[in-house]
Amino acid sequence: MSNNRVLRVKNLNVRYQTQQGPVHAVNDVSFDVFQDEVFGIAGESGCGKSTLIRALMRLLPDSAEVTANEITLSGQNLESMPERRFREEVLWSKMSLVPQSAMNSLNPVYRVGNQIMEAIQAHSSKTNAQARERTAHLFDIVGLQPDLMDNYPHEFSGGMRQRAMIAMSLALDPGLIIMDEPTTGLDVLVQERILRRIREIREEISSSIILITHDIAVIAEMSDRIAVMYGGYFMEQATAIDLFETPSHPYTLGLKNAFPSIRRKGQELISIPGSPPTLIGECKGCPFWERCPFSVEHCSNETPAIEKLAQYHEVRCFRHKDTPQLRELASKKGTWLSLD
Amino acid sequence: MADYILRRLIYMLITLFAVASILFLMFRMLPGDATLQVISPAMDEAVQQRMKAAFGLDKPLLQQYFIYLKNLVTMEWGRSFVTAQEVTAIVSYRFWNTLLLMVSGLCMTLTLGIGLGIIMAWKRNSPLDIGGTVVGLIFQAAPPFITGLLLLMTLSYRLGLFPTGGMYPAGARPDSIFGLLLMPAFWERIVLPTFTVGMYYLATPLLVMRDSMLEVLGSDYIELARAKGLKSSVIMFRHAARNALLGVVTLASILVGFAVGGQVVVESLFSWPGMGQLMVESAASHDYPVAQGTFLMLAILVIGLNFITDILYSYLDPRIKVSAEGISR
Ligand SMILES: Nc1ncnc2c1ncn2[C@@H]1O[C@H](COP(=O)(O)OP(=O)(O)OP(=O)(O)O)[C@@H](O)[C@H]1O
Ligand code: SF4
Ligand SMILES: [Mg+2]
Repeated sequence: MSNNRVLRVKNLNVRYQTQQGPVHAVNDVSFDVFQDEVFGIAGESGCGKSTLIRALMRLLPDSAEVTANEITLSGQNLESMPERRFREEVLWSKMSLVPQSAMNSLNPVYRVGNQIMEAIQAHSSKTNAQARERTAHLFDIVGLQPDLMDNYPHEFSGGMRQRAMIAMSLALDPGLIIMDEPTTGLDVLVQERILRRIREIREEISSSIILITHDIAVIAEMSDRIAVMYGGYFMEQATAIDLFETPSHPYTLGLKNAFPSIRRKGQELISIPGSPPTLIGECKGCPFWERCPFSVEHCSNETPAIEKLAQYHEVRCFRHKDTPQLRELASKKGTWLSLD
Repeated sequence: MADYILRRLIYMLITLFAVASILFLMFRMLPGDATLQVISPAMDEAVQQRMKAAFGLDKPLLQQYFIYLKNLVTMEWGRSFVTAQEVTAIVSYRFWNTLLLMVSGLCMTLTLGIGLGIIMAWKRNSPLDIGGTVVGLIFQAAPPFITGLLLLMTLSYRLGLFPTGGMYPAGARPDSIFGLLLMPAFWERIVLPTFTVGMYYLATPLLVMRDSMLEVLGSDYIELARAKGLKSSVIMFRHAARNALLGVVTLASILVGFAVGGQVVVESLFSWPGMGQLMVESAASHDYPVAQGTFLMLAILVIGLNFITDILYSYLDPRIKVSAEGISR
């Protein structure tokens, strides 16, 4: 892991204004992404993962309100950057996306290759021939035959579309590629092949990757560092090794407990009794307290601050000092069942 | 693609055949004997028989039907009971007049509807969006007869801005359709009827375009287009409008069918010498051969325009051609 920082986000908050009241989708999220690394974000459905990356790429609807103390990409302050400059100089050329719904993200009426060429030509002065050549090369990188460039999206299988989306994300050698659940909706074999391809590509390119998923096995296998997200907060952040050897947040402990073998793929992170908070209305206390077997009195009305346990290891819990004891307790079945 | 066009052509012929058959039955089942117009019961019995034989009316119905179909194909559509002119000659002259007005009305409806629909979706909930919807609905609610009459009364009679009707000044009949198109007087006269039908049908494509734009704008590929850092005009037109258009093109073929109704009213109102007017006149004077020819020609027009929309649709939506190709993983 080099210490060259690509992205720094400090105290990012996102609120959606809705008829039911404000939805606190992202709360006080801070993290760095370094050059060449894969930064994984794991969390259950609805915990705010996509909202977080939409905020970074300014893709949120008008109903969303974003605040942050700092968002810096390759040394450039993104927050104060005017819309037009952001679109021309940052989007896709410095930060690209493999969207959550990669299957439906290609425009059905245009040829796949042309859609990649469009991204290239929107940010460079490449001629058609040059852009085409680059696209063919990208197809090759992701394991698609370049002569499929002139096909329409409906002529591609799900896995092929996913590869095409990955090819598109690589088009301009961006410093950062954000992959929002790049393998959901694909069958296990195709998923396996795509992940292998992403790992191979990592060797060839110098982009950093933010990998979002709710599949803990995928994240464990692919990431250098991992953030565990819950209720809009980053609950724990650590290197992959630390997270699986010395998990410290009660939520992480619960997850790990639910997955004795992180090598088994295709399982989702929902095995702790109870369900995640709705995020509607003012969030009081630790978002996990209703499900937490270790909660103490002030957990329900005070939000815990981030505590640093080691370099790159942070946890948001009042009982961060008791972790060895909690780890011990968490491995016992009864601890989780005692909750109703 | 050629495959698809061929299939569509065959469907089109089948539809035409069905329409022709229905017309045949309709004119024979209509209350009142159509032949009374020509073969008067006051005539001598033998003369009546001879005339019936001359028209082929003594033959069995099925045989009459085959003769009818044969005559349709060979363009022998009979003569007018009133003027004794060839029906084909009357109808073909009228056909172009109707086509001109219908196409110009549809063009106005579609371009205005699509263009305004895009802008309304883009500036959703703006005064323009709301105003556009209201105007569209008002013109849809007002019968074209009223709209046309108001236009005539104010712009033609009161202000004298436009001629009061017809296709060209009296006595200046052009010798060909091209001659007609070169006449400024023709363009002066087509404005009001075009506007009347155009506005009457505007609401449908307008609201459909607006809604499908809004739907498309919420789709994943639009989010991706934004993430790609494309200009908002490129996103609006190249990505969103292109897809939203598919909904309107489907609608256009239905609209073509409806347009015939408005056409009849507007042609009568603006003395436009087209098939709509002819249909009303021939029905009023019990001129059955002409009425039948007009119906048939209108059907051909609608079916033909439908065919064109189908082809256009398949050109706009690559997914239509799926069956021809096919890709393995
Ligand atoms: N446009 C919106 N308006 C209001 N609330 C929204 C909107 N988009 C998302 N939310 C809410 O914000 C929360 C976070 O949603 P988000 O899509 O970021 O979750 P996610 O972690 O990406 O989930 P998934 O794994 O299902 O993709 C959810 O509670 C969701 O209901
Ligand atoms: S802060 Fe309290 S409720 Fe939250 S995880 Fe820690 S112990 Fe549990
Ligand atoms: Mg998501």
